[in-house]
Amino acid sequence: MELKVNQDNCLGCGVCVVACPVNASISPEVAGGHGSKTTETIMMVENGVIKLFSRDKCTKCGTCQLFCPTDAIWLE
Amino acid sequence: MPKHIVSGLKYLTAVELIRDGFSQKDVAKILEMDRSTVSHYLNGRNLSWNSIEVAEIITNFCSKDFLTLTYALLNDAEKTRIIIKTCSKKTYQAKVEDSCIGCGLCADTCLMNAIILDDLKAEIDTEWCCGCLMCGDVCPTNSIKISEEENGS
Amino acid sequence: MVANVKEVNAKEINVKRTSPEEKRELTFKDEICVGCGICEKICPVQAIELGPICAIVRNGAEESKISIDEDKCVLCGMCSSACPVDALEFDIDEKNIKEIEEYPKLIKNAEISDEECIYCKACETACPRDAITIARVLPERTKLVTGEIEIDKDTCISCGVCEEMCPADAITMEHHEPTSAEPTVSSDINVDKEKCVYCLICKKSCPVDAIKAVCRSCSYGEYDLNPEDTEIKGSSFIDEEACVDCGWCQEICPVDAAKVEKAFEGELIIDQETCQTCGACIDVCPCNVLSFPSPNASGDIDEKVKSDEKYCIYCGACENACPVEAIEVKRTDIRHTPTKSKSWDKKLESLKT
Repeated sequence: MELKVNQDNCLGCGVCVVACPVNASISPEVAGGHGSKTTETIMMVENGVIKLFSRDKCTKCGTCQLFCPTDAIWLE
Repeated sequence: MPKHIVSGLKYLTAVELIRDGFSQKDVAKILEMDRSTVSHYLNGRNLSWNSIEVAEIITNFCSKDFLTLTYALLNDAEKTRIIIKTCSKKTYQAKVEDSCIGCGLCADTCLMNAIILDDLKAEIDTEWCCGCLMCGDVCPTNSIKISEEENGS
Repeated sequence: MVANVKEVNAKEINVKRTSPEEKRELTFKDEICVGCGICEKICPVQAIELGPICAIVRNGAEESKISIDEDKCVLCGMCSSACPVDALEFDIDEKNIKEIEEYPKLIKNAEISDEECIYCKACETACPRDAITIARVLPERTKLVTGEIEIDKDTCISCGVCEEMCPADAITMEHHEPTSAEPTVSSDINVDKEKCVYCLICKKSCPVDAIKAVCRSCSYGEYDLNPEDTEIKGSSFIDEEACVDCGWCQEICPVDAAKVEKAFEGELIIDQETCQTCGACIDVCPCNVLSFPSPNASGDIDEKVKSDEKYCIYCGACENACPVEAIEVKRTDIRHTPTKSKSWDKKLESLKT
């Protein structure tokens, strides 16, 4: 089971970035919607769409999938 | 050929059993043979010398090979047990450690039917244990320790 | 040499080994499993792996909560003994090891006393596993309220006021549009005596005094009422397969009729600082121990996640689910029947953390 994204469906809203508890523990600024970019977090919005960076930190809690409005990020 | 070897093994077993005090009638019953055949064997008849020689070599194999070859030749669990027990040159001590989890794989594997489970622990009957070590091979917790008993008993 | 045979049917895994001596069979039922991972911990040959519980419970992933490697499994039965919710059952020659004395089993129980139970159904509502069914038969209303009522159909003007006012919906009036042949608005009016409670509201509100009614219940008071007529009869049933002995029924029962014994004793520690309120623990907990508390005032943050250990069975599913390791489940006591096997005893005690 791993984290997957579909950039075509992505709105770039960033809810997954904010909701992800691992992101929040690594970088509270990113989780708050501000802060400098860091590739230490699991995923970030880049150029208007979601992109995975440190995917191996994902613990498969499924929070991002629950919040995403367009099924652009999920566990499979 | 295989049936000659089987005859050889039965001969050696018969000889041992007689030595242990069984009568010819007993031997015939144990080995499921005619009493007359037993008598012939013991008098050196109805056997080519090669059979006995080959059988003797087999009884000198390592326990695992002796057991598995005999079982393959006879395809009869009960007779195999008796032949192995009777012709085994050595006796063994068996210890089952407390790490045994009672899974029963050893009991299922043992061709000599020497293992039972009691209170979730394996118990090995050394009367029947032939030292083939197949139980130890299959034990998931390495709990079986089998060693040869020192001669002199 | 006998090999294991594994069968996977929908939500059930079955591993068995048949030898001339005996038949051993392990069955796993996915819908009962809570994802605690205790089976994975206790397996002496690492044949069990916990699946992606959060993805399954929160996002409906179609995967099994555990996987069993039939090549590694030796069918010892330890997983079945240790499972706190009986999702794994182990049989030897068709007999469950929980009925074989030599095998240790967890001591846990939930029962409702027929004598004390008043069939209020609080436990049925509270049970997080829907494991309780309460069937109840209510007393007959006509035995509890008695009286007389009659509508004088000649005096009645079919205004429908009594029908509207009746709080028990006991009065029914036939309504129709009048015609020259039948210049009336109603052809009939009736009182259903099974529903009427003799409150006399209809009598008091009738503009033409067409209703005669008396209530006898008050003069009966409580003296003439037969206590047998007020009895609520019923029965309770706990589905043992679904029950996880969480204790909700015991805590919520107003008359202490439900008694629960738990297998594990321990402690639940939540690090509120580290918690990121993702809600994974709340979703996986089988016992409704955890919840997001409502703030007392806007902007008032007390705890991020509230817990009540009264309902906790210390299974550890929440600890596994937490993505930031903010939860610790300590088990300080494992209650089980005795066994002579030192390895089994040691393995059960190793569940303590």
